[in-house]
Amino acid sequence: MADVQLVNLTIEGRQVSVPAGTSILEAAKAAGVLIPHYCYHPSLSIAGNCRMCQVEVEKLPKLAPACATAVAEGQVVHVYSERALEARKGVLEFLLLNHPLDCPICDQSGECELQDYTYREGRAEGRSQEPKRFNPVEDFGGDVLYVTNRCILCTRCVRFMDEVAKDTVLNVSERGDRAVIGKFEGKDLTHPWASNVVDLCPVGALLSKDFLNKARAWELDRTPSICPNCTQGCNTILETRDNVVVRMRPRTNSEVNRYFLCDEGRLDYRWMNRTDRVEAPLVRRGDRLVAVDWEEALKAAALHLNGKRAFVLASPKLSNESLWMLSRLVEKTGGRGAFRVAHGPEAPLPGVPDLALRAERAPNVRAAELFGFTKSDTPLSALGSDDVLVIADHELAPADAEAVQRAASVIVIGTTLPEAARHALVVLPATNVAEEEGTFTNLRGRVQRYLQARSAPGMARPVWWSTGDLLAFLGERAGYFLASEAFAALAAARPEYAGMSYDTLGLKGQLLAGAAAPAEAARS
Amino acid sequence: MAIQVKVLDRPLAQTSYVRAMLKGMAITFKHLVDPHKKTVQYPEQKWDISPRWRGTHRMLTDENGKAKCVACGLCPQICPANCIKLVPGEDEEGNRYPLVYEIDEFRCIFCGYCQEVCPEEAIHVGRHYENAEYSRAGFVYDLERLMAQTHPVCEMWDPADPKGE
Repeated sequence: MADVQLVNLTIEGRQVSVPAGTSILEAAKAAGVLIPHYCYHPSLSIAGNCRMCQVEVEKLPKLAPACATAVAEGQVVHVYSERALEARKGVLEFLLLNHPLDCPICDQSGECELQDYTYREGRAEGRSQEPKRFNPVEDFGGDVLYVTNRCILCTRCVRFMDEVAKDTVLNVSERGDRAVIGKFEGKDLTHPWASNVVDLCPVGALLSKDFLNKARAWELDRTPSICPNCTQGCNTILETRDNVVVRMRPRTNSEVNRYFLCDEGRLDYRWMNRTDRVEAPLVRRGDRLVAVDWEEALKAAALHLNGKRAFVLASPKLSNESLWMLSRLVEKTGGRGAFRVAHGPEAPLPGVPDLALRAERAPNVRAAELFGFTKSDTPLSALGSDDVLVIADHELAPADAEAVQRAASVIVIGTTLPEAARHALVVLPATNVAEEEGTFTNLRGRVQRYLQARSAPGMARPVWWSTGDLLAFLGERAGYFLASEAFAALAAARPEYAGMSYDTLGLKGQLLAGAAAPAEAARS
Repeated sequence: MAIQVKVLDRPLAQTSYVRAMLKGMAITFKHLVDPHKKTVQYPEQKWDISPRWRGTHRMLTDENGKAKCVACGLCPQICPANCIKLVPGEDEEGNRYPLVYEIDEFRCIFCGYCQEVCPEEAIHVGRHYENAEYSRAGFVYDLERLMAQTHPVCEMWDPADPKGE
């Protein structure tokens, strides 16, 4: 980094030093000034076709497009000078010539850059007397709908498919004011990462069919989270409305997923809203499961576990805290732990190094293996006949049903009660990823936090909480009340996590001790 | 001991009711023939209410009899009493429309913001009173009921002078 040459310039009266070659737009971002732009996106090539980012640079005769102009020593940039504002006002007026005023029915409304900038810098009333261009809505395949009328032809979607997905599907068809985004003959937006064009679109031209007409942008509550659908651990934002998850979108993390999220990941959120949940701790009385309070249920579970070996079937979708607490339960009782992970086809995003929808479709396989759980396709094959089977939110395949019957007794800690485990002696309700705070360790060893997005049903508690309390009943130290406490204890106990805490992790995550090297190797 | 009542001897002019009664009847008679009387024979007669009267809502319909509402969500957003429930949906032709649209007229404070914010001029507050119901639930007006209302709607501004100049 030492040989990077820094350039000093002034943007809106603020001094900034940025590496040579940076665009004025990026330098302005560093100075805390947002220059309006449509076609520019940090992960795509510079197109310079929207002309929205024009700024006034002293000693330049004409206005300069900030996205395509490199910084120079001693430059003085005026973003909000009269000339620049007048130019951008003109650009906005031209963009709105054919843009319908259908904000009330547009899904992008509320998070639309055309709306924002028009409100900030545009003309309050249109002067055009001509009728607006009309084209029908087109289905682009996949999850994407193209509303032609709203398109401002920034070509972000075209460049994303060309440069990042490397699957040339989209183009600009026709010319002049008839220009629209078109598909090449016989091609569809079926690339596994194609839905990113919906996020990239600055206006409401590319819409998600899944989210269509579902909610308004201003009604949503947004929570930083981690995609729980594969080992990649893409950073996401969970958007909820009235305590229901309605959308999952990528959150920028330059170390993991940059700005992107795959289709399978983003559309697989409905299970978080399942309503067939266990809501109270249940204990078997005769042939019935009876709802009791936590203390009684934990006591009953401890009684069943006392002096027996626990065989823990732990889901790789559980957090680090939960898996570690379960591994302590295994240790305490001298038992063993195992899990199975679902597989699917791997789908890389060619334009970004080391980013793919991974074959292993669970977020925390790495931590599960680290904490001594055996990965197996038949995880219950080692189950002894006098073992106590603890099913920790693990899905049961039809083949597992027979093995579950073999166990001496069954304790379920889970979001739901699986059909094959109806004979469980104790059932402890658990929260899912949207309802708790925690961390995942991705396949490159990056430990990343996710936050609680919706309230848990009934009396459900995170698995680390109930398991910690269960350990307390078995004679260990008292349990933990906060996810950060549980993680601190984990960091103190495991050398790989040494020195980590929720404060040091932040929202970008941190690599496991000794994990940096392989990740770097895979990157280069 | 028996109670004794002391009777005061008063002049007849002070104790007679005849004069007071005639006075009262004179007032009554005066009102009977007064050309400027204010009494309205409600409910046979009713007052004309102001064109800006804000009463219970009415949803306007288009020429096909469908609600004009496009479920944009601005009225539930602006409503200070939080009395509008809206669930958007999509009809057979792909148009956005309200799947559920309910206004709790008990919660409503009749501020008229919903009418003012509506970009489609669909929801209006009405020039209407007399809202008796047999149950509380009857005051939650659903879309069908809002569309079935026939009373005139509030004029937020003078159509001849929309900017109030």
